[in-house]
Parts: sequence; C-alpha cells; structure tokens
Amino acid sequence: MKLTSREQDGVVILEPKGKIMGGPDATALKESIRDYVNEDKKNVVIDLAEVDWMNSTGLGILISCLKTVKEAEGELKLSNVTDKIKSLLTITKLVTVFDAYDSTDEAIAAAK
Amino acid sequence: MRAAQATAKMKGPEIHNNKIVIPSDQELIAKVDEFVETRLRDRNIDDSIIADIAICATEVVNNGIIHGNKDDRSKTVTLEMVFSDGEVTITVTDQGDFFDANHIASPVDDENLMREVGRGIFIVKNLMDQVDIERANGGGTRVILIKKLK
Repeated sequence: MKLTSREQDGVVILEPKGKIMGGPDATALKESIRDYVNEDKKNVVIDLAEVDWMNSTGLGILISCLKTVKEAEGELKLSNVTDKIKSLLTITKLVTVFDAYDSTDEAIAAAK
Repeated sequence: MRAAQATAKMKGPEIHNNKIVIPSDQELIAKVDEFVETRLRDRNIDDSIIADIAICATEVVNNGIIHGNKDDRSKTVTLEMVFSDGEVTITVTDQGDFFDANHIASPVDDENLMREVGRGIFIVKNLMDQVDIERANGGGTRVILIKKLK
C-alpha cells in the first residue's frame, strides 16, 4: 500500500493505494491520522478509490482511525468505496459504523 | 532439531512450486499475496474470486504469524495450494500452539463492532466455500480453505 495525502476546504484527504493486508500498512494510515489530529486537523476523508481490497487488518485500521478522529471530536468519512470493500463492510456490519459517500467531494462536504 | 536450526536461519520466503514457507514476519505478508495471486492469474480466474482468495490467504497467514507463532521469527508459516476439479485447496500451517479460532466472540455482535481485531476467521468463513481448522501434526494450527474457481 502507498499513501498520499492532501488538504481541501480544511479537510484532510488520505489516499491509500493498493491493498491493505497487514505488515507496514498497518501503521502508515494510523500514524498519518494521528499526526493530523495532533495538528488539530481532525476532519478526515479516506478515499478508497485505489484500494483493490483489504482484509480484517485493513478493517481494523479503519476502525482505529475512526476512534482516533472521534476522540478528538472530528469527523471521518469514507469515499469511493469499491464493491469488494463494500461487500466486506456489509458482511461485518461495519457498514453501520462508517459514513461512506460515492464521491470525495460529497465526503468532504460532510466532513467540514 | 535440524529443522528448527534451518528455520532459525531463514531470512525470506522459500518457494517450491505451489508451496511458500515464510518466517514469522508480518512484513512478508505481501509476498504471500503475490505468490497466491500469481498462481490464480495463471489460470484465468475472475478478479473477484482472486481477491476473495487473496483476502483469506493473507488473513490466515497473518493469524499464523501473530496468534500461532507469536511473531517468533524462528518459526515458519507454510502455505500450499492444490488445484483440482475446478477448485483450489489452500492449506496454511504454523508452528505455534493450537489456536482454535472457531470459538472467538462474534464480531458482528453490537458490543464487538468497534473492536479492531477478531473478525478475520469470520470473513474467511463468509468468503470461502469450506474452512476447516485443525491441530497440525507438530502441535500448531492447520487451516484448510476450499474455494470453487467459477
């Protein structure tokens, strides 16, 4: 997994690319969110358009990110969730935990 | 004893045809994915099925490294793929203590939804056609996954 980030309208957008399956992936996304929250940038969108799939490690990372942001009273939104990941969120009932949007612009508007 | 000494020296994955052996190092999980996906792509299998199998293979190998072998690099996790009758059987064996993942709390119960761990085998059972978890001959855990390829 590769991770890039940018900011738009006061919202941090994280753009992981590849697969989230464990190993070094596990720390990169979590650390990035923590760093932004520590800088008081606590409204975050994770754009999953370029994530082919993730396993339970990836889902655990998303939950960790959500907890970090919520503890700081910020917002975490997902965008462009691929069919494979949507299916995993449904199977695990995490679809009830995350706010997911079809586009990053919609997610940014909701996270502001 | 000789085998234990050999694995202690193991630095990276060892691949023999459809079998990969890795030391218990979470950083090697991408190598397992590459190994599994390469062998599936050679057979023109649908991308969605390949993803399901790769998700489950990495899931079970992660379990072997973390819960089975407790990240002890001198212990290995072995994954072997066998293709027959339109399906693949993947056997993953670790060298730790037997870990019966059949008896973990349901990750979809409300009180467990926000847990960061504990949903691996649940996902595997949903995506595979058959999952068997048994005690390996050496005392570790053997997980057998079967998935139809069409």
